[in-house]
Amino acid sequence: MYRRSRITALIITLLFVFGVVAGCGGGGTPTPQAEETIKIGFLGAKTGGHASYGIETLKGMQMAVDDLNAAGGLLGKELAIVEDDHRSTGTEGANVTQKLITEGVVAIVGDPTTGITKIAAEIAQGAGVVLMSAGAVGEGVVEIGDYIYRNTLLDRVGAPAVTKYLAEELGWSKVALVTSTNNDYSVGLSKLFRDSLQVNNVEIVAEQSIQDGDQSFAAQVTALKQNTFDGIIFTGYYTEGGLFMKEVRAQGLDHVMAGGDGLLSSVLWELGEAAVEGSMVYTGFAVDLGGASPKTLEFINKYQAEYGKLPDMFSAQGYDAVMLIADAIVAANSAAPADFKETLKLTADWEGVSGTITFGPDREPIKSPVYLLEVKDGDWAVKAVIPVDM
Amino acid sequence: MDLQTFLQQLLNGITLGSVYALIALGYTMVYGIIKLINFAHGDVYMIGAFVGLTAVVLGADVWLALCAAMLACLIVAVSIERVAYRPLRGSTRLAPLISSIGVSIFIQTLVTLIKGPQPVGFPQVVKNTIYTVGPLHISTVQIVILLVAAGLMVTLQLVIRRTKMGKAMRATSEDLHTAGLMGINVNAVISFTFALGAVMAGAGGVLVGMYFNSVFPLMGVMAGLKAFCAAVVGGIGSVPGAVLGGLFLGVAEVLGVAAGFGSYRDAIAFGLLILVLLIRPAGLLGQPQQRKV
Amino acid sequence: MDDLIREFINPYHVQVLILLGIFLIAALGLHLITGVTGQLSFGHAAFLSIGAYTAALMNLRLDLPFLACLLAGAVVAALAGVLVGFPSMRLTGDYLGIATLGFAEIVRVVFMNLEITGGARGLAGIPRETNLVTVYVLVILTVWAMYRLNHSRFGRALVAIREDEIAAECMGIKSLWYKVGAFAIGSFCAGLAGGLYAHLLQYLNPADFGFARSFEILCFVVLGGLGSIAGAVLGTTILTIAPEMLRFSAEYRMMMYGVLMVLMMIFRPGGLLGGVDLVASFRLLWSRLRNTATPAGGA
Repeated sequence: MYRRSRITALIITLLFVFGVVAGCGGGGTPTPQAEETIKIGFLGAKTGGHASYGIETLKGMQMAVDDLNAAGGLLGKELAIVEDDHRSTGTEGANVTQKLITEGVVAIVGDPTTGITKIAAEIAQGAGVVLMSAGAVGEGVVEIGDYIYRNTLLDRVGAPAVTKYLAEELGWSKVALVTSTNNDYSVGLSKLFRDSLQVNNVEIVAEQSIQDGDQSFAAQVTALKQNTFDGIIFTGYYTEGGLFMKEVRAQGLDHVMAGGDGLLSSVLWELGEAAVEGSMVYTGFAVDLGGASPKTLEFINKYQAEYGKLPDMFSAQGYDAVMLIADAIVAANSAAPADFKETLKLTADWEGVSGTITFGPDREPIKSPVYLLEVKDGDWAVKAVIPVDM
Repeated sequence: MDLQTFLQQLLNGITLGSVYALIALGYTMVYGIIKLINFAHGDVYMIGAFVGLTAVVLGADVWLALCAAMLACLIVAVSIERVAYRPLRGSTRLAPLISSIGVSIFIQTLVTLIKGPQPVGFPQVVKNTIYTVGPLHISTVQIVILLVAAGLMVTLQLVIRRTKMGKAMRATSEDLHTAGLMGINVNAVISFTFALGAVMAGAGGVLVGMYFNSVFPLMGVMAGLKAFCAAVVGGIGSVPGAVLGGLFLGVAEVLGVAAGFGSYRDAIAFGLLILVLLIRPAGLLGQPQQRKV
Repeated sequence: MDDLIREFINPYHVQVLILLGIFLIAALGLHLITGVTGQLSFGHAAFLSIGAYTAALMNLRLDLPFLACLLAGAVVAALAGVLVGFPSMRLTGDYLGIATLGFAEIVRVVFMNLEITGGARGLAGIPRETNLVTVYVLVILTVWAMYRLNHSRFGRALVAIREDEIAAECMGIKSLWYKVGAFAIGSFCAGLAGGLYAHLLQYLNPADFGFARSFEILCFVVLGGLGSIAGAVLGTTILTIAPEMLRFSAEYRMMMYGVLMVLMMIFRPGGLLGGVDLVASFRLLWSRLRNTATPAGGA
């Protein structure tokens, strides 16, 4: 009996090993042939922690591809999106990037977060495929190589502009700074704010750290209460932001917070309710029906007709990312990444639905204007439009 | 930190700790009986929170929502036990552990599919007034959490100490096989234990939803881990130990943040855990394991 | 060599296979700690991260050659393993498991806050040195070492401790020494895997080494069958390849993965190859085949 089960187990193993070998063996590199379509890859999470960023980026990309195909495609070919989910994990991010490249994409749009963008960028650079992140704002992304781009409002452009506004227009001279220490975005943004606050002579009187995934902020807020300050700079994400402000109100403080586009989500007031009224967020894209360009208005209306709600920053940047790549392909008259990465670099004063973009000499995007939004009656309202010098 | 801040932080810590304790009870009871670390327990707690949320959205009040969540969790936990753990009774200790990790992944993905990955706000069901008792501020929600948690824990202790089923549970946790030989329906006792643990977790889910105003599919992961550690600190298998461990962990965490080590908070909690284990290897109230020769 | 491989397998499959090889090495380390010695460890990812960060920093700061970085990472991880091995003197079973879990969380939080590791922003710009050949040479070496170890005096002592620690002590085995040794070697493997991981993904973030990863590796070993090298290899292979093979099921993917885990445990509660020594089974099969092939030889 014992011996028989041993041999059964052995046979299971052998069958499985053969299965894997057979499964992998057939997958040699496909011989390059004239592709009927130009493929663009989507890299992002559709499940897991930051799924909403990925889903919105993909929606924007789909709209751009539909618009381009309706206008006759690119170089006489149709555009198609290749997509797969990586659950916001680094290892699967690497797997998916390789998979997209294997399936013959000429460019990848994503990932919306900096960490996975860095993993993917190393692979894309090595394989000679253009990667355009429609969300990564951290440092050290485009430095990875000349195939790597992004079309976001960088915090090193946004944070100083907003700090200046807070100090000069709102008269903040003392602030409390709250950082989410397990969030790379938050740590980086806090660093930028520390610098620009100093330049504008604003004093940081208290600092508290939180973590992504925390639900209780009673301890931090109780500690903050020991100081007097004009407002809170909160550099984390919207989930924690909403709950944090709720605790701030619960403990009887009436300050408002200001932060980066990590706070930009309707979840902020769904969780924070009245406590986030007046809180401010800066972003490179806002639905500003009064001041938007005709192109942006058209995008907003189309998106609303398609999905029944207003677009957000990620959908707009996803749309722009595809359009930037498409324009570069047309300018280079070639869908080979080595060719159109050169024309992409020359993009200047390019008008997209999420603002005007110029790629600087370091290939970093400079976007104008910066929108400062505030929560008003459970919705975003444009508080200020701050232009940036190109 | 002055005395007033310290007391206020202590109160915050006790509120958080009593939620950990509610979840820890489920871990500790199940472990006491079948020596299984039930990793799906944190997800049962998450289901409780979502059911409570749905009930509130449909117009139920707090108590009805609590009952609905507790009932739903009871059904879920007993089915999980029947499908994923009972076939593994008598196999190696780690087999049901892996099975429970599989169940946990399954439930998290399922709920994400149904409800979406986003955190959902919890409507305000209790009018949140803040009372000032001497130097301390305490909110209605905090009072509800403390009362419900204390009530459930007392009831649980009564069930275990005073009822026939409780006696059977204690007998089963002493020795499963002998208990079976004495005419105790061991399967029924195990199902009952899972049900009791799930009821606590379900209530915990609703209370946390109310306290933090947010419910999301992965909320059971960290809470479950912390509660599990609470159960171990208290002495896994011991009911009063789980309560003590929960409060200990909650207070340690909050005071750690208050002392300005916010970014090292988890390290503080786990460092204390290791320290407790090294000094008392079976936890604060656990019985030292006899090494039989 | 790499170009030759790319002729036959596409880069996506290469990527998955390299990751598989890395997890194989890590899982074999845990196989020694939990499978052979019977010491529960819920914190294997910590050794992976220690190896990864050490190797990466050796490369970035000191500019050491790749193999030296790998070795440095593995050695530092082994030292951490010794540190974790000592509490096993006082803690047994699940309590040891929890202590290792606590240790792993502390390591993660420290990496999250240290300046030199880049904190939560992670450590980027690590050169890509890991390739299929290096990884699988190391996998084969690890398997061979584990096999030799299992059949050595040291390995038999470990099994004795797993089966009955008190009896083993009576036989003159100093169990603490052996347990610490098992932790050191197991962590060495994890550290090696970590170094390879760092030089594959080229970017490290503490969030990738949370307790989820520790339990993932534990699942590899238990699902394959505790105490069996072939089991550890099979378990790792199935659970690493499955999420990729299940991609066709889109959003239902992880649900199917969870069900797969439950079903495999229910149908083989002792693990797929629990207690199986593949080499011995081969010999058994071989002798059977020879016996049936020469019926005239029998009396």
